[in-house]
Amino acid sequence: MNYAPTIAPAAATSAHAKGAGEIRLVNLTKSFGDTDAVKNINLTIPHGSYCCLLGPSGCGKTTILRMIAGHETPTSGEIYIGDDMVVGKSPVERGTAMMFQSYALFPHLSVLDNVAFYLKMRGVGKEERRARAREMLERVQLSHLADRMPAQLSGGQQQRVALARSLITNPKVLLLDEPLSALDEFLRLKMRGELKNLQAELGITFVHVTHTQPEAIALADMVVVMDTGRIEQAASANEIYNRPTTPYVARFMGGQNVLTGKVKSVAGKIMVLESAKGEHFEVPVAGSAPKTRETVSISVRRDRISIAKPGKGKAAAPVNTVAGMVDSTEYQGSFVKVSVRLENGELFVAHVPDHDYFAGPVNHGDAVVAHWSPEHVHVLSKADTGGVKDPYAGSEH
Amino acid sequence: MAAPSYGKRPWTFYVLAALFTLFVIFLYGPMISVLVLSFQGPSAALNFPLRDPSLMWFDELFNPRRVGDVPGAFSRSLPLALITMLLTVLIAVTAGFAFRRRFRGATLVFYMAIASLIIPGLVLSIGILVTARFLGLSASWYTTALGAHLSWTLPFGLLIMFAVLGRLSPSYEEAAYDLGARRWQTIKEVVLPIVFPGIIAVALFGFTLSYDEFPRSWLTVGTLNTLPLEIWTMTTNVTSPALYALGTVTTVVSFIVIALALGSILIIQRRRSGSS
Repeated sequence: MNYAPTIAPAAATSAHAKGAGEIRLVNLTKSFGDTDAVKNINLTIPHGSYCCLLGPSGCGKTTILRMIAGHETPTSGEIYIGDDMVVGKSPVERGTAMMFQSYALFPHLSVLDNVAFYLKMRGVGKEERRARAREMLERVQLSHLADRMPAQLSGGQQQRVALARSLITNPKVLLLDEPLSALDEFLRLKMRGELKNLQAELGITFVHVTHTQPEAIALADMVVVMDTGRIEQAASANEIYNRPTTPYVARFMGGQNVLTGKVKSVAGKIMVLESAKGEHFEVPVAGSAPKTRETVSISVRRDRISIAKPGKGKAAAPVNTVAGMVDSTEYQGSFVKVSVRLENGELFVAHVPDHDYFAGPVNHGDAVVAHWSPEHVHVLSKADTGGVKDPYAGSEH
Repeated sequence: MAAPSYGKRPWTFYVLAALFTLFVIFLYGPMISVLVLSFQGPSAALNFPLRDPSLMWFDELFNPRRVGDVPGAFSRSLPLALITMLLTVLIAVTAGFAFRRRFRGATLVFYMAIASLIIPGLVLSIGILVTARFLGLSASWYTTALGAHLSWTLPFGLLIMFAVLGRLSPSYEEAAYDLGARRWQTIKEVVLPIVFPGIIAVALFGFTLSYDEFPRSWLTVGTLNTLPLEIWTMTTNVTSPALYALGTVTTVVSFIVIALALGSILIIQRRRSGSS
């Protein structure tokens, strides 16, 4: 089986003016009956960037993609591509091309004729369109399969054909609906890298819908985290991962633990939170400090936490520490994922380097304390009201 | 020690196999009897055994001296079946597309279309005749009988199209739109080729249901009979193996039609899976 040679696009394929592929969504809303799939969204995706729309099933990410593509009409609001308001225009007029989750290759046409379909619709003669389709297939290194039917191709090959079929339209914006979800793990990682390279070489805007956090972080210049029709945070992958603004994003991205407490005191650059259970957390203050008694949520990165068995007869109440019972441990190669069940029933997760873990291993049911330094604490701009639950609680990310 | 068993068939397999064999004999036995007896010799016996096999009753069929007007009946039944087939395909396919987009009252219209299947054919036949008389129209195979046949074939055609289009993912049409195809181009270049085997099935149903329809033809064909009516008339007044010869010929025609339809579906599927 031919496992995915690299996609090698010709240099400087895209002849689009700078800024032509900028996407602007203004007060965009889409309702299906009484439910709003997308609620009043504002978002600007810069020209030539790789943008990932990330969120759980039903959060509205695919609906946004389909509205940009022209396969769904907004209930209200505007969509701009470059300077053009594109609502009501066809995909070709918009300069977009979409790659469908199922690839939607036409089963009655050969690979070559699938790729040539766009040219056929434009009235390009048989010889010329086949020659150009062959050229495009060469770029995705599939010219040897030109005469095959889609049913004879593997998943990875089908995806390449779908990609070639989209790119032959010379789009300003390529829209990808969960493009990697149908592939096995090995191929997924390989194609992930190829998509990123392709985007960099073509220099056009990619909008990629996914529900997988590592995929978004690995690919995107800009990650848009969504929840039930709203944008929770839109920023660089690094920003989203390290400085989430809301408890939802912190939990959804999976790298953080969220803790909540009331402000007890503020002293210079450090304020102290007191949790409902009476634990004290030191938090660095940037800018204006919240008022005393105000509820504040913080996040602590999983890989900045140390786990220890409780010390004997410590007098002072420990700061920056939570206590609980080990719920599970999972060996991950370079680190061990230790899940601690806190007394309030929530899970607190630490990624302990394997070397440290095996120096003093803990097991299911052991009482432990988790400790961190205040410099690894990040303040969320929104307090955790307890209503938002991590949809992927306990899953591995 | 018992010998190890490598998937010995259970006794139920043999019971069910025997049952199935009986069923097949029940299905085709009568047909085979008719086929054999249609080659009966000049003894003109209507029962077994077969004596002095000959083709004389086929000759009798096509050069009628004593039997009814078989060639004439055939010359009406065949075009009637073909026209019914054509109209069924045209209407069922377009109606199927209409139902892809939910419209107000879609369910009601669908059930009304299907309900005509449960109206007894003879009653419908009378109804059509009475209505035609009332409107001052004369009954003939190409007017009233055609309408009666369509009332039978259209619901079937629609049901088949529902099954066929239900499996057609909307993303094919969206992909075509995405690649700049206009509405008509999408239908012509993408949708119709993909659902073509289903359309052949609709055509096949339209043809065979019309070709051997009796109750709905009974009062609606007017003075000139279609083939099933002719056969029925012959059973009451012809007492020669020409009857069997007629059965053989009509069955052969049906089989040819079915073979053509299934053959073309098979060729299309073979081409799509690329093993040509």
